[in-house]
Amino acid sequence: MEELMKERVAQLENYILKHCLWQFHSRTWDREKQNEGVLSKTMQILCDEPVDKGTPADRCYWVDAVVLAEEYKKRFSWLAALDKTEIKLLMQGLKERIDYVTITGSLNKELTVKQY
Amino acid sequence: MPHHTFKCSECIPERRQHAVIKGPGEDLTSALPEGYLNTIPGTISERGCAYCGAKHVIGTPMKDVIHISHGPVGCTYDTWQTKRYISDNDNFQIKNTFATDVKEKHIVFGAEGLLKKNIIEAFKAFPEIKRMTIYSTCATALIGDDIGAVAQEVMDEMPEVDIFVCNSPGFAGPSQSGGHHIINIAWIKQKVGTVEPEITSDYVINYVGEYNIQGDQEVMVDYFKTMGIQVLSTFTGNGSYDDLRAMHRAHLNVLECARSAEYICNELRVKYGIPRLDIDGFGFEPLSASLRKVGLFFGIEDRAQAIIDEETARWKPELDWYKERLQGKKVCLWPGGSKLWHWANVIHEEMGLEVVSMYTKFGHQGDMEKGIARCDTGALAIDDPNELEGLEALEMLKPDIILTGKRPGEVAKKVRVPYLNAHAYHNGPYKGYEGWVRFARDIYNAIYSPIHQLSALDISKDAIPTDKGFATQRMTSDANLSEEIRSSVTLRQYTGGYDSVSKLRTKTYPHLQNQLAGV
Repeated sequence: MEELMKERVAQLENYILKHCLWQFHSRTWDREKQNEGVLSKTMQILCDEPVDKGTPADRCYWVDAVVLAEEYKKRFSWLAALDKTEIKLLMQGLKERIDYVTITGSLNKELTVKQY
Repeated sequence: MPHHTFKCSECIPERRQHAVIKGPGEDLTSALPEGYLNTIPGTISERGCAYCGAKHVIGTPMKDVIHISHGPVGCTYDTWQTKRYISDNDNFQIKNTFATDVKEKHIVFGAEGLLKKNIIEAFKAFPEIKRMTIYSTCATALIGDDIGAVAQEVMDEMPEVDIFVCNSPGFAGPSQSGGHHIINIAWIKQKVGTVEPEITSDYVINYVGEYNIQGDQEVMVDYFKTMGIQVLSTFTGNGSYDDLRAMHRAHLNVLECARSAEYICNELRVKYGIPRLDIDGFGFEPLSASLRKVGLFFGIEDRAQAIIDEETARWKPELDWYKERLQGKKVCLWPGGSKLWHWANVIHEEMGLEVVSMYTKFGHQGDMEKGIARCDTGALAIDDPNELEGLEALEMLKPDIILTGKRPGEVAKKVRVPYLNAHAYHNGPYKGYEGWVRFARDIYNAIYSPIHQLSALDISKDAIPTDKGFATQRMTSDANLSEEIRSSVTLRQYTGGYDSVSKLRTKTYPHLQNQLAGV
């Protein structure tokens, strides 16, 4: 079960790394916000939960999330068979993985430079 | 860390940190070269300088401006014969170049008087132009000329003119990227917020990090206008100086080249709360996603979808004609800048090319992160390569084509690797749906040019064969294709015109008007 979860997270991660740009903003604090904003909203869309679009920033996270959720549904047919709890678990695993690859495990030395 | 050591750089052990080969199972936490550092002694960088990054990359694409370099005349080298950031006002910014022509006596006695004289002379020579950007160079930065004070003096005497000062001398950073940063920050500090624009739509964007190479910007702006979006400014390709002073009134910053222009987006986000949306303008799928995202942001995604459907139906059969013939061809993706990551995955998915190597001459590690993430296993990633390393990589990888700038491109041609200009393009624009087909067409023409049959012969020892005819492009490219593909009536070669841009300049956009409530 754990292996299956890992494999599915890897598929979702591979899509993001190959097709998206939002995860690669240039500073740690920015990447943290981006990953949280886009992936939490993607999870909400996949679970048919309401999404906050109250601020311009929220709308930006949301548009990336809408397109990501659409692509996930289109490419990974196994998603349709998951219930909400499983999707949340999966997306949590994905968030941890993206945070690791782009922030905590990143070799990019510029991430902690204070000025843009 | 899967570092790669070039034979030619074995005597420079530090260079080992600047190249990696992405191995199986490796990701960005194990495969990332160094980047954006000073050139290592013992090797020779092929980068531009910080002045070049500020003026020639970011500043000069602004079209209605006298761009004047305060320094020796040689600093203005990159003009209309080397740059192709065209504009719809007859290319004023690349046809005319200005320098104060600083000489030894000015270095000794100061050049501020010379600068003032030149500013006034330039404005008088082009009375219809009322805007100017002054760039410091190494020489005038070292002697400490106060360019800002001179500019203010002129503006006090000539209230109809406005001048922007960019202090980004060549030594201000390890590469031109330092200059990108400086001019971004200088523009927002000095000029943004000093003009109030006329707002004509409910949907207002700045289009940032786009330099109108052979019309790229005009293609993208056409899509935005078709959607009823007002493009307040384009930073800076085909951009107007005063429009760029009004960037603070946009609802959204749409960012194309993050490395060159994210700084201004981030400052606009902090200072004015305008969010930043990063997009890809190259390739059918990435571009469609980009248009859709911008549409979603404003609640007009149906307008985006209409463009996507129409353009895809029109151009996809032509893209696929080339894809069939480019499948599996190996490419060295050495564009130097953001096209490294804009193209790395999509030329594989949509044209069938295999990216075997990529490099950046001046990029940061962030550029490589995106590029390596988008490349497949086995790709060689090189930061700040020199000519010898480039040649060694070509010998090792044996690519079918190299996408790069004109200097390394000419070197590649000498070792019989077909080259396509990834900086200034061969027959652009390459953005947009039609543009992406033009790009595929140029790649096809480069790989299958019949000239390679002759260039492979060493006339000093090989006899010229006289017993066989000359193979055309189609004979070569179609040799291994199935009959079904060869004779397909659906797939077809590019049918667009030589000039796909000029017609956009006279196009009208009726639904842009009257969108504001009550108008």
